[in-house]
Amino acid sequence: MTTLLAVPFLVPVLGAAAALLLRSYRRGQQAVSVVTLLLVVLAAAELVRSTADGTVLTSQAGGWEAPIGITVVADPLTALLLLVSSVVLLVVLLYAIGQDTAGLSRATPAVFHPIYLVLTAGVCLSFLAGDLFNLFVGFEIMLTASYALITQAPTRARVRASMIYTVVSLTSSILFLTGIALVYGATGTVNMADIALRLDTAPEPLRMVLALMFLVVFGIKAAIVPMHFWLPDSYPVALTRISAIFAALLTKVAVYAVIRTQTLLFARDDTSAVIMWLAIATMVVGILGALVQDDVNRIMSFALVSHIGFMLFGLALGSAAGLAGVIVYLVHHIVVQASLFLVNGLIRQYVGHTSLRALRGLTAISPMLALLFFLPAMSLAGLPPMSGFVAKVALFQAGAEAGGWLAWTGVAAGVATSLLTLMAIFRVWVRAFWGVPLPDVVEAGERLRGRRSGGALLMAGATGAMVALGLVLAALSGPLTDLAFTAARDLLGGGAYLQAVLGGAS
Amino acid sequence: MSEVSTGAGTPPEGWEAPRERWLSTVVSPAFGPRSVLLEVAVRLLVPSVLVFSVFLLVSGHDRPGGGFAGGLVASMAFVLRYIAGGRHELAAGMPLKPNTLLALGLLLSGVTAGLPLFGGGELLEVFKAKADLPVFGEVTFASYLVFESGVFLIVVGLVLSVVAALGARMEAEEEEARAGRRRRRARNKGGAQ
Repeated sequence: MTTLLAVPFLVPVLGAAAALLLRSYRRGQQAVSVVTLLLVVLAAAELVRSTADGTVLTSQAGGWEAPIGITVVADPLTALLLLVSSVVLLVVLLYAIGQDTAGLSRATPAVFHPIYLVLTAGVCLSFLAGDLFNLFVGFEIMLTASYALITQAPTRARVRASMIYTVVSLTSSILFLTGIALVYGATGTVNMADIALRLDTAPEPLRMVLALMFLVVFGIKAAIVPMHFWLPDSYPVALTRISAIFAALLTKVAVYAVIRTQTLLFARDDTSAVIMWLAIATMVVGILGALVQDDVNRIMSFALVSHIGFMLFGLALGSAAGLAGVIVYLVHHIVVQASLFLVNGLIRQYVGHTSLRALRGLTAISPMLALLFFLPAMSLAGLPPMSGFVAKVALFQAGAEAGGWLAWTGVAAGVATSLLTLMAIFRVWVRAFWGVPLPDVVEAGERLRGRRSGGALLMAGATGAMVALGLVLAALSGPLTDLAFTAARDLLGGGAYLQAVLGGAS
Repeated sequence: MSEVSTGAGTPPEGWEAPRERWLSTVVSPAFGPRSVLLEVAVRLLVPSVLVFSVFLLVSGHDRPGGGFAGGLVASMAFVLRYIAGGRHELAAGMPLKPNTLLALGLLLSGVTAGLPLFGGGELLEVFKAKADLPVFGEVTFASYLVFESGVFLIVVGLVLSVVAALGARMEAEEEEARAGRRRRRARNKGGAQ
């Protein structure tokens, strides 16, 4: 079991080292990256299989027991997120390899592959961390890699965007570190299970301050309104492969951290009203932003902000049904967001830009592209029978069960947001895909026909695979919901987690 | 301070240029002249700084020091050589590319962290061996020394890649720009005649 828990972050680190050594052999580098991510996917699949009944697996690094040493923990939530993230990372990597092979990218592969693997290690470590400080380390590995990735193929706009991104991320990291110091001051430990036990006896106002502090820290990283302003300014300008991964994973890791800290550490404190208001604000403000944008990538970025609100909504309900809804939503949203950004990348590749002002009639030049956009977009809006529909219904049901005016307000905001998302998507559909193609779009289509290569096929294939993954999620929604309920019960009970981490010591 | 390579004015009567070579390269860096004082200081300091960094690395397991501190000190030795002699001096002192150092360090640390897993142990588990050596007396070897050596290499690689990106590359660009200016000036002079 120990080995299995170490694979998701140790293997990418070794892979990064190998990719760095192989930096002048492009093929070797690509092979190393693909094999590394395949190993991570396999390990994550095995973790999902062995935690599916609600077991919590732990590993104590160096053989030091829990409150003293570093603990690595995998519960059903962690395992599920690891699996989805690693699959998405693998598919986006294939897209990137296709783009490099076709010679369509200005990224430096020598730098891209090692840093991409380091990012993978950071994401996996954040999911697996059993103590707050290790969570911080995981976040930092992930963010440091992302600072380097966002300026790949630097242009003036990218450097400007990365400045905003870096400054905001560093601010939140400083707050995070301060929060850890305060927690350590109050409890004398950084092990999350141990903190959960010791905070019981801490005075209530102190617990409240700590809970809100961590909400702000992860709120900045998860782009919760009013701390979202940096996201639509930085994600859309990066390279497609990078904005796809950032949009799919980075904010979700922060949402995971919110869920973990609010359910495990501050389970007894009533932050739910605050979280509910944040959720409503995030949903509404985000989608209103999406409605006034003119660039497909920026529309998707605002939609991303808006849909973080749905996850907060489920968390604020505090019930097992609500949390299960959040988990299904997380999985669905990771896949759908990655698909949409990859499709935007294809549009950018074919036509040269993603601005709605100069796009018309894309359906005429590439019906396949239109289909690839249509499916995940409908899923994002939550139309049946897509996975987005399943996730939203789960959340709204949980909201209706919880009752009370605040929960109903949340449900109403959620329904309104879904409709507005549909509107934003139809705006894109009508303006970019329908109609008589503009001359330069037609020209782009002709160029496209003359330029079929293995690399371009791999790019389209990877995008297709991601879209297909979204459909598979919809087909598997039964088992997925069961798994989500197991994970949610583990989160709320907390007993299994504490027992597994602290063992006999508790 | 005696500045040798400025070429501004002639040296005083009876003055002899120093024949001793203190550093391994003689190319003068793009930014400012070389200073003999600095060269001598660097020549004397670098070996002791490197030895001190190894001391920090080895003594780090139960006293202040360790791979990180040792790596920082070792990279300062290379930074000193860079400051005294520019990018050619840095290249002469470090045959490996910073990226290679980083990769080797990552491999070393990662493998040491993961190796116990194959023997059924825990991640990062430490093995110790004691030996009685003739001169040193009783010596304890622990596997985290290997892990720390990896960290050492990573830190050196990181500092050197910062120096390469913010120092050496800018220096190369400056030299290129200077050569360009010289060419333009020569062309203009040619046009005027």
